[in-house]
Amino acid sequence: MLFSKDGLSRIDYTLVLAVIILVVIGILMIYSAGFDPIEKVNNGLYRKQILWFIFGFILMVGLTIINYQALGEFSLHIYAVLIVVLLITAIFGRPVRNTRAWLNFGVIAIQPSEFMKLGLVIILAKYLEVRERDIVRLRELVIPTILTFIPVLIILKQPDFGTAIIFIPILLTMLFVGGADITHLISIVLIASIAMVVPMILTYREWIGAEGSNFILDFFKDVNLLLLVSGVMLAITIAAFVLHYFSVKKILRKIYIPGAVVSLGLMASVLIQNLFKVYQKRRILVFLNPDLDPQGSGYNIIQSKIAIGSGGLFGKGFLKGSQSQLGFLPEKTSDFIFSVVAEEWGFLGGIVMIGLLGFLVFKCIQTAFEAKDKFGALLASGITTIFFFHVLVNIGMVIGIMPVTGLPLCFVSYGGSNLLMSMICVGIILNIRARKFVY
Amino acid sequence: MLMQSSLRAKLQEAFRVRMYFFMAVTVAVFSILVLQLVNLQLIQGEEYQTRARLNMESNVPIPAARGDIYDRNFREGEKNVVIVSNRASFNITTIPAKFKSKKKFDEVLDLLALLLNIDREEIKNEISGGNPWERIVLKEDVEFETIVKIASRPDRFPNIDWEDASVRVYNFSEMFAHVIGYVGSISPREYQRLKTEGYKHYQKIGKAGIEKRYDQLLRGRDGYVRRIVDVRQRTEGEEVGERPVAGNNIILTMDYNIQNTVYEAMKDMKGAAIVLKPYTGEIIAMVSKPDFDPNLIISKNNAAIIKRLQTDRERPFLNRTIQSKYPPASTFKLITAVSALETEKATPDKTYFCPGYFVLKGYRDHVFYDYDVHGTVDLYWAIAKSCSVYFYQLGLLAGPSVLMRYAEDFGLNQKSGIDIPGEVAGFVPSRQWKYKAFGQPWFDGDTVNMSIGQGFLHVTPMGMCNFIAALVNNGIVYSPHLVREIRTNDNARVIKSFARKKIREIPLSPLTLKAVRKGMRLSVTSGTSGRLGYLKVPVAGKTGTAQTRSVRLEKFSQHAWFVGFAPYDGPPESAIAMVVLVEYGIAGAASAVPVAERVFTKLQELGYFTPAAPALKELKKQRGAVSGAAAPSPLEPSGAGEDRREAVAPAKKAGE
Repeated sequence: MLFSKDGLSRIDYTLVLAVIILVVIGILMIYSAGFDPIEKVNNGLYRKQILWFIFGFILMVGLTIINYQALGEFSLHIYAVLIVVLLITAIFGRPVRNTRAWLNFGVIAIQPSEFMKLGLVIILAKYLEVRERDIVRLRELVIPTILTFIPVLIILKQPDFGTAIIFIPILLTMLFVGGADITHLISIVLIASIAMVVPMILTYREWIGAEGSNFILDFFKDVNLLLLVSGVMLAITIAAFVLHYFSVKKILRKIYIPGAVVSLGLMASVLIQNLFKVYQKRRILVFLNPDLDPQGSGYNIIQSKIAIGSGGLFGKGFLKGSQSQLGFLPEKTSDFIFSVVAEEWGFLGGIVMIGLLGFLVFKCIQTAFEAKDKFGALLASGITTIFFFHVLVNIGMVIGIMPVTGLPLCFVSYGGSNLLMSMICVGIILNIRARKFVY
Repeated sequence: MLMQSSLRAKLQEAFRVRMYFFMAVTVAVFSILVLQLVNLQLIQGEEYQTRARLNMESNVPIPAARGDIYDRNFREGEKNVVIVSNRASFNITTIPAKFKSKKKFDEVLDLLALLLNIDREEIKNEISGGNPWERIVLKEDVEFETIVKIASRPDRFPNIDWEDASVRVYNFSEMFAHVIGYVGSISPREYQRLKTEGYKHYQKIGKAGIEKRYDQLLRGRDGYVRRIVDVRQRTEGEEVGERPVAGNNIILTMDYNIQNTVYEAMKDMKGAAIVLKPYTGEIIAMVSKPDFDPNLIISKNNAAIIKRLQTDRERPFLNRTIQSKYPPASTFKLITAVSALETEKATPDKTYFCPGYFVLKGYRDHVFYDYDVHGTVDLYWAIAKSCSVYFYQLGLLAGPSVLMRYAEDFGLNQKSGIDIPGEVAGFVPSRQWKYKAFGQPWFDGDTVNMSIGQGFLHVTPMGMCNFIAALVNNGIVYSPHLVREIRTNDNARVIKSFARKKIREIPLSPLTLKAVRKGMRLSVTSGTSGRLGYLKVPVAGKTGTAQTRSVRLEKFSQHAWFVGFAPYDGPPESAIAMVVLVEYGIAGAASAVPVAERVFTKLQELGYFTPAAPALKELKKQRGAVSGAAAPSPLEPSGAGEDRREAVAPAKKAGE
């Protein structure tokens, strides 16, 4: 069952076409962004992207041919290999801008963390398929969480904050569609929220100095105090849980669940406070209030919004976007590629691009519905989350409604690893779609 | 098995519900993205288009040509004497932020400092305060050869640019320095005051004289090139945004020939001279010495020269014609005479006997000396011989209030309103002032001193000139001015003409005027200004030797005055008034009179005294063909030196 002869006959060519259009637009935009209107030269990145696209297309076709169920069978192997490669990268990788995210192979460099996203989705899909009936229990969430946090911690060590943070919503969404208990998920989200908010407040206080000092903020200034509070709450929680175990009083459940949420949240916040670098925490604050840093990362968002807004309805035309051509737009070939599209091709170009991405996500969701087995459905929904969160975080960032996290826009941004990973994902989706009637 | 499949269906249903929920979330998110896109591009689009334009546009000014300045002999369409013009030149500029490192910048600056002779510290100071992306001027007015040197070695001088610049040229250097003034870089304080009037921080602004007073008319309006730059300030393209509008030209009332004559006559002197046409208030010449060369101080790299001039003990920046006050000395005797005659306290025939001294009776008698024994003199001879004893008594006769009133009526304590900035008013004492300043009443001794122009009185040469103008013009004084008309930059059209403007009318009886003029004429023919007697034009005049005590130089010093006019008997239309003041004139009045002699000669050569009020067009034709207005009188070239002692005596004043 590894290969299927009639696989290609059931290929969804509209999806393939959408992907090709997206990548071609991306290459055109990389050409435009790489053009220097003063020296009249191009930095040539678009050629590399074309090569990556050809390579990715071959991989896509290849993944269409093999049976996706084999991926489930080898999910642990794939995961383990990727973790090892990720570790090697984090330790021996060539540092680019102080981040060991790339493995160098002479002319090409690979970013293993991109493939890790798919690797995680595959193993989670397999796990959730196997534990389909037990997933409502809290203890079944432990293994998916561990599986997720191993790569997250390695990637944070590189450090690549943006890539690491995308794993969390992927995990939560997969648990959600995989059938996990809603109360558990909400608790986890609350814990995560507390874990994020407390370090943000601490960072804010530190940053703006004494002006930000007030009674409530002062409470958070001492990390040890936070640990003490969370420890006491945890003790109460455990006591309530133990009592609950021996008695039938339902009321105790109302104590130990919020208690656990708050105490674990505070502990995690201490962990995050010490784990994350100051600039990473500040970046989120700047997103919340760009005025905090108009010259730094706030500058990027301001310039991106100027680029997009000045595009208007029809745009300024190919190679005519002043913001991108004259270099006011930062990271224009990778993270801010959508700004180039919206500047040069205007609202119409932006709508086409969002439409194509929306069509892609819709096709993925449709695949999840139509998949013949649970693994296929979960795999398709996992791939959906990868695409969906990249679109949300990247476009949300460039239009100023999400923090600057440095995630690429799938298919469009320059970058071989992300393009390859995305093409593989599409290959898997095509595969699942092609086999929906094959039993 | 049934259980299994029903559980399976249940699980399948749960999955579908959650997938629908997830789908709803994705639809919501995509909608939000689209809405924000609508907001940014369609609703706020125009605002962001403006911001994008501000990002990439960097407007480079095109400096407007500053207006030229011509003298009164200007003829439209002819080749004229240009007093101030502009010359094309280059500025060396750079943008400090373009350099890879501070070290590299310092290296290049060191090399440039050798080539251009500039002060590195000054440049560094200028940079440290400002925006490193702003273009700064390293050196103004650089020769083309230097540009070639820099352009040929981009490896040694990276990021060093040059721009066209026009440099003001003062063609006669020092000769017109105080009248024309000079331009300089706008100071931060001036910029703060004037930025609402369209001045820019990189512009030049008139700092003194005509350049300052008429700056708004001379400067024109800068245009700009709209330059499209990238984030590193590299130029992508440019177009002319607005063309510059050249400044207006100025035609002076001054005559280059006369100014030259005055300037040459006063070459080695310190002092001031004014040649004025009383009938219109036009100033023909105005010289102040010592002077400075405005060409040397207009560049921003010449701070050291400016500093040296500013701290010079001789104060070359001071326009002594309007900014310095001196005791009027014997020239004030004319006002004493006017006061006595007008108040009918005396007639010109009144005689006093001059034994060479005058005793003022009082609590303790005090003796005021004269420089000579003049015997019995009437008013004419008293003026001619500058007999102090006569005027001591005439002053006492008229009384201090009358003297003060006439001094004030003639405007000696007022600014003349001349059209260059910085003028100061002279000082006429009063009883109240004396009481306030010294706690003493006004004594007769003060009156005696004042009647010969010593004591507390201080006047500017301009003030004295206006007094002469009143004498010439039957009591009417017109506002003295230096600019005749303003023309467009191509000289084709007159924008503004300055007609004469009456500033004062002093009712003077013909008798008084006749008597004082006659005395002044006698002074030329047979008195202290005797040297002027042989001139073809009949000159009337009065000398004076002022004594001042300079606090700064800590010594007594004497200043020689000459005030006068010509022709003595001509109509006021053709008359010229003149004031010459020589500071520390070693030979007293003898220093001032030769200046007047040369200037009157030149005026006459140029036909200024031709009766039919020479229309300027015919002036050149008439050169040489001098009219017979001059009636040379027998000369008595004595007395030039005597005036010196005259003032020494009253300096030992007592009065109390």
